[in-house]
Amino acid sequence: MIRHIPNGAGLAALATLLVFPLAYGGANYDFVMHLWITAFFYAILASSWALLAGYGGQFSFGHMAFMALGAYGAGLLDNYVVVTGQPTRTCLEIGLFGNWVVFIAPTGVSKVQSCLEMAQAAWPADATVSRFPLILGIIFGAAIGGGAGWLIGTLVLRLRAAYLALFTVGFSEILRAAISAEIWLTRGQAGLPLSPIFPDGVTLFGTYFPATAKLPAYYVMLALFLGTLLLLTWIAQSRIGLFLRSLREDEDAAEALGVDTVRYKRVVFVLTAMIAAAAGAVQGHYVGLITPNTIVLLQMSLVIAMAVIGGLENVVAAAIGAILISFALEFLRTDFFLFGTRIDMTTWRLVFFGLLLMLTLRFLRNGVIHGALMWIDRRGVGAETVAKRRAGQTEGAE
Amino acid sequence: MDHPQFFFMAILWMVIWGAVGAVMIRRAYFARDLDVTQARAVGVAVGAATGPFGLIPLYLKTPELTRRWRVLPWLGVAAVFTAAFALSDPDNVCVTSGSFVASQVTNGLIIGTIYGLMALGLALIFSIIGIVSFSHGEFYMIGGMVVYYMTEVWLPGAGPVLAVIFACVVTFMIGALFERAFLTPIYDGRVERPNEYAILVTFGLAFFLQYLVQGLSGANPVKARPFFELPKTNIPEDGSILATTRSNITLFDTISVSTPRLTAAVISVLMLGLLIWFLYKTWWGKGLRAVAQDRQAAAVAGINPKVMNMVAFGLGCMLAGLAGAVLVQAFSWLPQTGMIPALRAFVIIVLGGLGSLPGAFIGGLLLGLIEATGVGCMPDPTRAAAYLPAYGMIVLTLVLLLKPTGLFGKKI
Repeated sequence: MIRHIPNGAGLAALATLLVFPLAYGGANYDFVMHLWITAFFYAILASSWALLAGYGGQFSFGHMAFMALGAYGAGLLDNYVVVTGQPTRTCLEIGLFGNWVVFIAPTGVSKVQSCLEMAQAAWPADATVSRFPLILGIIFGAAIGGGAGWLIGTLVLRLRAAYLALFTVGFSEILRAAISAEIWLTRGQAGLPLSPIFPDGVTLFGTYFPATAKLPAYYVMLALFLGTLLLLTWIAQSRIGLFLRSLREDEDAAEALGVDTVRYKRVVFVLTAMIAAAAGAVQGHYVGLITPNTIVLLQMSLVIAMAVIGGLENVVAAAIGAILISFALEFLRTDFFLFGTRIDMTTWRLVFFGLLLMLTLRFLRNGVIHGALMWIDRRGVGAETVAKRRAGQTEGAE
Repeated sequence: MDHPQFFFMAILWMVIWGAVGAVMIRRAYFARDLDVTQARAVGVAVGAATGPFGLIPLYLKTPELTRRWRVLPWLGVAAVFTAAFALSDPDNVCVTSGSFVASQVTNGLIIGTIYGLMALGLALIFSIIGIVSFSHGEFYMIGGMVVYYMTEVWLPGAGPVLAVIFACVVTFMIGALFERAFLTPIYDGRVERPNEYAILVTFGLAFFLQYLVQGLSGANPVKARPFFELPKTNIPEDGSILATTRSNITLFDTISVSTPRLTAAVISVLMLGLLIWFLYKTWWGKGLRAVAQDRQAAAVAGINPKVMNMVAFGLGCMLAGLAGAVLVQAFSWLPQTGMIPALRAFVIIVLGGLGSLPGAFIGGLLLGLIEATGVGCMPDPTRAAAYLPAYGMIVLTLVLLLKPTGLFGKKI
């Protein structure tokens, strides 16, 4: 009986998530919605990182860099590429089906009249200028992330453990330096603005939601989250998952047994990088601004802490850990006074999570959520007892 | 840049011939059944430096690749690179002003000494425990913070020597305690994948320490006073040989060094001497080196490897703390300060060869030089400073691609 609890709870949680935005009516509706969207975002990152590190054994610290690549890829298309009904004749442009895809030269933070604005002045009043289709931008971002994943996966083929971790930390640091320095393209620390997910608002079930409404963004992120989770669990229990685990346990032995280690290392890098990049692109459109600060090591540390505390070798547990921790991070934000001094909780909550990360690694190697799931799976009996019983059964059978 | 085409054509030329050299020379040595371990690196260097003029004789004669073959072609590569840079950008301050270059090189070596000291700690930990500590930068930061609080807040009259010693004690204690509490399971096989466990748990420690310090001291930058200030002198009267102000020394009117950095480098060299004495002359030092060579044999000889693990980790963290303690007077200090130096230390130990102590120090000097010239000579100064961490990463990528064992590494 007790073994069915996780499945039942999972179904109930899924149903709750689906109807929650319709049913919830609190005064802090927008804030709670925002928390959920952020939680889904982190859950996507943590579960894809769990596949990369927990299954594939590739401890990459560049996951947030892939995420940022996706967001910047989508953001650059959103800012510098428009679709017009008239040719500008001055910009770089491609004619497609009676419309023109116009590439505007990046201007950075300076205010220069672009070739588009100059051309617009001479156009008839009914000429249309619209943004590049958002979904194509997100796909482009994911493709850039996947390409970078392929590149990193290829470069680190021969590297193991510490070398790989070092290399990916360096990769994300360089990317951050480049994004901060190349102001002409990325606007540096000022951040790159992105249009909302539904720029003109959207009508769902006969109700009109403006561009700033949280409900459509919630469902978009939830769909991406559930899709990711389905894909990851399917991969984890397919042949690929088996190959990945063999890669983690002993690369040389796996290769000797005929596993194409080069191929599956690349596959896991490209796949998880694409997922991270897609999540980054959607989150960038939702927040409306992307800055190089998203790549700082703190963000990566949070994703790692979420995956480890949830359970590194179980993508669903990692996702649950991420959702719980991103809520906990938000609720631990309130400062309080201790012995007359103000305790700055924005910092001390991170101290707490650092300690929790270390203690989980030391004493609960499978993570808190995954450990609990396993405990339920064993019907509340200790792991040693199960092993003993099994040993006893085989002895009896002989 | 006046003629960027020169520079990029030279780079393209070097890359193409380097790649040709990597493939062909290795093949030649393979075909004649010679030692191929050095063939690829030498082939790249000879190809990049001389193009076909050096590659063809090398391909035909396949001489034994002695130390001379392993070093000289790389100097040639550096010379070709410098020449291409000078031709393409004749107005650059690095090309027109020899004194600027001399100044940059001196400063690079001085800061490189301290990088070397910090990397030495990481190499020590790796050679004994076999893990790479991801919390190295945080110990650097804590070392600096302790000195700042000792000299400015807790005991304003204490003097820098006491503060530096106290910083060493604090970082050693934190390192040793952490090792006892969290690293012991990796010695006796209680974790399935010790390397990954060590990466994650030291990473967790870094996260914890960084925010602990931020919680305790706040997120504002702090700056310690220089350890000492020079009297104003000029030798001779016009200061053409040696001129000093309170915070700067100028030699021969050309080489200019700031006093805090010089003090830091002098302390580092002294500490390095002390460390060498400790490692080679004392029982504990000999025990450490014995464990690094052969754990079991050391245990048979009566050295407890577990205690040595603790000493090594504490000592490694202490070296990072020391590097921070001497540099806090030169830079302003934040809880996030440790990040870039930690990356740098990783690059240095890979460059010098993982686990090699002399390699770590020489790698530190080299990286100091590369960074100083890179920042000084890049045509766009604001961008040059922003890309500071990238120089090390370029070095790291090249080393990993060409010679993963590093300069002095054993075969992996």
